[in-house]
Amino acid sequence: MTPLVEQIMSSHRVAGEIRPGRLATVRVDRIYIQDGNAPTVARLFQEFGFDRILYPERVGVFFDHSVLSPTAAISTRLREAEQFARAHGLHVLRGGEGISHIVAAEAGWFEPGSLIVGTDSHTCTGGVTQSLALGLGASDVVGAMVTGWVWVRVPETVWVRTVGRPGPHTTAKDVMLFLLSRHAHDTFLYRSMQWCGDWVESLSPDAAATLANMAVECGAKCVFLPPGPGRTEGLQPIRPPADAGPVVDLDITGLPPYVARPGLPQDAVELDLCAGQPLQYVFVGTCTNGRLEDIAAVAAVVEGRRLHDSVHLVVTPGSRQIYLDCLRLGYLETLVRAGAVVSPPGCGACVGTQGTIPADGDHVLTTMNRNFKGRMGNPNAKIWLASPSVAAHAALLGRIPRTSELE
Amino acid sequence: MTGQNPPGLPGRYRVRRVSGVISTDDLIAGRHKHSTTDAAALAQHLLEDRMPGFAATVRTGDAIVADAIFGIGSSREQAVSALLAAGIRLVIAPAYGRIFFRNCWNLGLPAIDGCAKFPLAEGDELEVDLSTGRLWARGNCWHFGAVPREMLQLLDAGGLLPYIQKMDLTHGFT
Repeated sequence: MTPLVEQIMSSHRVAGEIRPGRLATVRVDRIYIQDGNAPTVARLFQEFGFDRILYPERVGVFFDHSVLSPTAAISTRLREAEQFARAHGLHVLRGGEGISHIVAAEAGWFEPGSLIVGTDSHTCTGGVTQSLALGLGASDVVGAMVTGWVWVRVPETVWVRTVGRPGPHTTAKDVMLFLLSRHAHDTFLYRSMQWCGDWVESLSPDAAATLANMAVECGAKCVFLPPGPGRTEGLQPIRPPADAGPVVDLDITGLPPYVARPGLPQDAVELDLCAGQPLQYVFVGTCTNGRLEDIAAVAAVVEGRRLHDSVHLVVTPGSRQIYLDCLRLGYLETLVRAGAVVSPPGCGACVGTQGTIPADGDHVLTTMNRNFKGRMGNPNAKIWLASPSVAAHAALLGRIPRTSELE
Repeated sequence: MTGQNPPGLPGRYRVRRVSGVISTDDLIAGRHKHSTTDAAALAQHLLEDRMPGFAATVRTGDAIVADAIFGIGSSREQAVSALLAAGIRLVIAPAYGRIFFRNCWNLGLPAIDGCAKFPLAEGDELEVDLSTGRLWARGNCWHFGAVPREMLQLLDAGGLLPYIQKMDLTHGFT
C-alpha cells in the first residue's frame, strides 16, 4: 500500500516528483480560513493587489475564535474579515456556527482522498476521514486562493500501531497524551502519521477525530485514521506493508488516564502522579474534545450533582449542531443545573481571545490540545490537559482526581 | 550594514540566543494576533511572556539561535511577520514546527535547521551562505544542509506572494 499522503499528492500533482523529501506543487480542493487569520488574509490581498479568487465557492471563512469578541480591536478585525469574505463571494460561517474543523467535517468537506488547506494548525483533523488536510499560514492560503495550488515537501510516513486495549477510563485523548510523552517531535516531525491496530479500528468517529486533531502536537504534517464503526464510507484499510518505513508499536494494554502538566503537551504523565492538585477553573470543549460524545461524558459524570465551590466550569460545544444535540438530549440542562457555564459554539476559551481568561495563579484543567504558557490569555495561569471524563471529575472535586475516583 | 544582503547571498548577523522549546504562542500570543494585522505593532510583543524585554533589544540584522525545537504549534504566520518587523533576519534552530518553517520561507525569513551543534554565544557575529550551506563564526566554518534551489528562488523574490506576482501565476492551473 502506497502511503495515503503520497497517493493523494500524486492525484493532485501539478509539478515535481511525489517522493519523500522532494518538493512538489499540488492542487487544492478546498480552502478554509479562521477569524484569527482572515484579517491578515484580507490585508495580504490588498497589499499584493490580488483581485481574483479562482474558486470562491470552495473557500470558507469561519468566525470561531472570537465568537463573543472581548475588545473593540478584535471586533473591528472581524468586521474587516467579514467584509472581505462577502466582497469575494466566499462562504461566511458566522460566529455561533462552530469550530472550522468540526463544521467542515459535518459538512462533508473532508472527503476521503481530497486535499484541503486551512489557516489553522488543527486542520489535520480532516485526516480522520483520510483527507490530506494541511494547516498553513496566511500567505500559503492566499497563494492557494489565487493559484489553486500549494508547494509541499513530500513527507515520509510513520505507522502507529496500537497493541492491546487501555484501561476502562482511558480515552483517545489519554492515548494521545501517552503517545506524546513517549514519541513527540523526534519521531513524527514533518512526517505523515498512519494509525492502525484493533483499538484504533474500534473507536467512534468522535474519538478518532481527537487522535487526528492532535497529530500536529506530535509535529506531524498530516495524519490518517483507518475505517471504523460509524465512520465515513470509502476509507482505505491501513496496514503497514512489509517494507514499511518506521512503525511505532504503541502498547496501550491497561493504560491509565494521562494528564499533561503545564507548559508542553508532551509533558504528560499518569493521572495518579498529579492527583490532588487544586483547580480553580475547568474548561471543556475545542476542536480536540468539543464533540457530542465528549460533552455527553461530562454530563454523565455531573448529572444530579453540584460542582465543587471553588471551580468555574465552562463547557463550549464545538458546533451549532452539537449544541442543538446537547439541548435535545438534556446534557446542557444537566450541566447548567450542576453549576456549569455553557458558552456559544466555537473555540471557547482556548486561545485567550474570548472568555473566560484565567486569573493570575489559577490552575486550569482543560480538554484543549495545548498548554503553552499564556495560551488562554494569561501567562500567570497554569494549564493542565486531560480527557472530558477527567475534567468532569475534576470539576466536582475541585482538584485533579485519582484514577480510582473515576466512574 | 548587517543583515541587508540580498537573500541567498552571504549575510552578517548578530546572534541572539533563545533557550527551550518555543511555540508560536510564545512568539506572539493569540490576544495580540487577533487584535491587529500590523506587524510592527505585533513586534513589540515578540516573546513577551517567555523573555520579557527581549523585543526592545532586537536590532535589524539579528539572528535568533535556538537550542531546542522552534516555532511549534499554531499556524499563525504573524509569529514570522513579528520576527521580521522586529528586525530578525535569520533563524537557526535544531528543528522547527512544520508550519512555522514554511511560513518563514514564505515571508522571506531564512530558517536553517539541524544546527544544534554550533557553539554560538549571545552577541557573536556570524555569516552564512545559504546556497552552499556554510556558516562562519568565531573564526570557524560549519556546514548545514544547503538550501534547495526552489527555496532560494522564493527568498530571492522576497517570499511566496511576491514570487507568485513575479512569475504571474495567478491564472491558476489548467
